Amino acid sequence: MAFDDSRHALFQARIDRGDRIEADDWMPDDYRNQLIRLIAMHAISEVMGALPEKEWVPKAPTLFRKLAIMAKVQDEEGHGQLLMRVAEDLMQPLGKNREDIFDDLFAGRLKYHNVFHMPAPTWADAGIIGWLVDGAAIVTQGMSLTCSYAPYARALARIVEEEGFHIHHGESICLSLAEGTPGQRKMLQEALVRWWPALMMFFGPPDGSQMSSHQLQNMRWKIRTKTNEELRQRFLTKYVGRIRSLGLTIPDPTLAYHEATATWQYQQPDWDLFKRIVNNQGPLSQERLELRRMTYEEGRWVREILSRDEQVGA
Amino acid sequence: MREEKLEFNVYEVFAQTDSMEHHVHQFSLLASTPDLAMALAQENFLRRSDIVSLWVVRRDDIVRSDPEQRQQFQRLNKPYRMKQNYSGLSEKWRRYKEHPLPPVTLDQDGEDA
Repeated sequence: MAFDDSRHALFQARIDRGDRIEADDWMPDDYRNQLIRLIAMHAISEVMGALPEKEWVPKAPTLFRKLAIMAKVQDEEGHGQLLMRVAEDLMQPLGKNREDIFDDLFAGRLKYHNVFHMPAPTWADAGIIGWLVDGAAIVTQGMSLTCSYAPYARALARIVEEEGFHIHHGESICLSLAEGTPGQRKMLQEALVRWWPALMMFFGPPDGSQMSSHQLQNMRWKIRTKTNEELRQRFLTKYVGRIRSLGLTIPDPTLAYHEATATWQYQQPDWDLFKRIVNNQGPLSQERLELRRMTYEEGRWVREILSRDEQVGA
Repeated sequence: MREEKLEFNVYEVFAQTDSMEHHVHQFSLLASTPDLAMALAQENFLRRSDIVSLWVVRRDDIVRSDPEQRQQFQRLNKPYRMKQNYSGLSEKWRRYKEHPLPPVTLDQDGEDA
């Protein structure tokens, strides 16, 4: 396998000198598979991520807010479309496409982000999703802009630009509530309490000593450049002060910043619960999956009409 | 399980934001017809930006450099093609504007001493 070894070495050399990889470049099977796993998960999380917020489209408090949250829902689905294309180009040599992504979702083989399994019972939840969930997503996606796989990095550049609008949308909702009546302020505080553990789970378990070999390999390949914990620390640095400046209390009495080590101490969320949630045993996992399955099935005839074979006969 | 997968064409999308700008590649999408590709391009990529022109091209119709060719695009060093390697000209013009060189005389032999 000397030939294969040298290909791997050449590939790693390209990565090391900062080359970006394109879809038709040679790449190790593992590199391709890691990317498919990551990007399909990201794509389907965008698609599923629109569901909690779309619940608030009919109930938004003003016409401006209604149009804005509709635009955001549309953006999320659009991001799903972009990422689905990136994943499909990687899956093509394996004879797979986006139908396989949806099949994997429905069969429970493909997970979506823990935050989108949670209920959004009040308008303040819609605000917290826009402000802090999208804020957490930007922390991750900001890192991934340096991803060695060029098509993914290019997709993220488009996505991050639109996320900038989402953050403003979420901040605006939360600031209005924070400046509002005692009842509105209470609603915001309660939403923060609901979402905090999910936000701490967002970046995944701390890597510690048992950083998976996957993660290490992905860092060598520059698919990612930061660990789960580094991303979570960055999120805390960015948002804790702002949250407190609105008079909100973060539901973690142990939360503290240690100057000496420049790290945040925080209460670990229940990682067993995290595992159950992403394995579709969260509060609304099944309900949202069922909705997605239903719309996928009901939309099948549209896709069939639009597909190439039908066009030939038309 | 489904019978067989649906097939769509991949289209590459290019948009121009100003008549003095070039069409810039945006991204790709799936569509069965050019009309549908045009409509989806606007929905997928141009929800916020003003554009003056839009192209969609079937990916199969694009002739592309392959990975080996792309490696060869690494440019050779050709300093004589680059204007940065012709520095100092304006300084000379400024000097000669103030202190012109002596007139060229034609009554000598033309032999340099």
